[in-house]
Amino acid sequence: MKDPYEILGVARTASAEDLQKAYRKLAKKLHPDLNPGNAEAEEKFKEIAGAYDLVGDAEKRKKFDNGEIDVAGVERPRQNYYRDYASSEQDHPYANNSGFTDFMDSEDGFAELLRRSARAQANRRGHDLEYRLPIEFIEAIAGANKRLTLPDGSTLDVAIPPGIIEGQVLRLRGKGAPGSGKGGFGDALIEVEIRPDPLFTRQGDDIYLELPVTLTEAVLGALIKVPTPTGAVTMAVPKGSNTGTMLRLKGKGAPKHVGGQGDQFVKLKVMLPKEPNPELEAFVSGWESGMTYKPREEWHHET
Amino acid sequence: MKLSKQEFLSLSGMGHDTLNTWIEEEWLVPSGTSLELSFTEVDIARARLVRDLQMDFGVNDEGVGVILNLVDQIYGMRRALMELRRTVRSTSERD
Repeated sequence: MKDPYEILGVARTASAEDLQKAYRKLAKKLHPDLNPGNAEAEEKFKEIAGAYDLVGDAEKRKKFDNGEIDVAGVERPRQNYYRDYASSEQDHPYANNSGFTDFMDSEDGFAELLRRSARAQANRRGHDLEYRLPIEFIEAIAGANKRLTLPDGSTLDVAIPPGIIEGQVLRLRGKGAPGSGKGGFGDALIEVEIRPDPLFTRQGDDIYLELPVTLTEAVLGALIKVPTPTGAVTMAVPKGSNTGTMLRLKGKGAPKHVGGQGDQFVKLKVMLPKEPNPELEAFVSGWESGMTYKPREEWHHET
Repeated sequence: MKLSKQEFLSLSGMGHDTLNTWIEEEWLVPSGTSLELSFTEVDIARARLVRDLQMDFGVNDEGVGVILNLVDQIYGMRRALMELRRTVRSTSERD
């Protein structure tokens, strides 16, 4: 921020009255509500208001002049100005047509245009209302019916289509704000927010799951019940599987836009018993190929 | 967003008596009944404008009424202009 005296265009020695005078002169030209056609007014007004907040107050001015406080941190925060509402198309109780009703009463083409505009304004469609709807990961894959409770206490039933993705927006026709006259209702726009799942992750139409298996299951193979977003299925883990082995459950992923389903990929993770196990230790000590297998053989580093 | 009188007072930082005066002067026109007034964000922004006029610009009560009336007419004309622009555009698109 620049020097507040410079912004207000006064000398550092200016009297309090001169400061106020300078501020009011600028503010009249720049107050956003009084200058709706001036797009830059808001930024400039913020600057002069911030400057005046600082040096227009005798105590703060003294501290500023002594270098005890600086210009940072005194800027007025962004606020909604009256013009933001008064200029919007939304109806508000202060709308006033008396500045041009006489134009509408005449019989020329311009009056006809104005009248048509007024009619259009009277029959404007309602606004779209935007909501956010958090859903569970599984609901995003399998679809769900959700009920959204609105701030005014009413409810909105939302059908989540299967396979929806994060940030997708659902449009409910006619569930937005009421319009004026014969304008009808706007739409409700619902942005879906998918909560992360502790088990599943998603990449495109495919779903990934890490499956812990016992040493016995990995070595000997097994039939294991595996969760999918649409319910558990039994999967054959082949004999001699390892940590990192990726198995595919065809068609158990998310529905694709073009039809069909993605897949679920199951990545195995071999888990030794949590506690040291004397039996396992005794077995492994006597297991010869356990000593000769070199899993780090392909590394080129010195280890 | 609908606000009760109490919510409006705390959000605008305004006193009870001041609010009554402003409503009497028709600077603010809340909806609802006199027993249960209802405010919106437009009223908050408008109250802030009145405060700016009084405190920052030193406008007296008579002046505030005159300014608000002119401001409302300007915004009314701006809306008509915007609507007119839309009508002209859609007409010329059709031609």
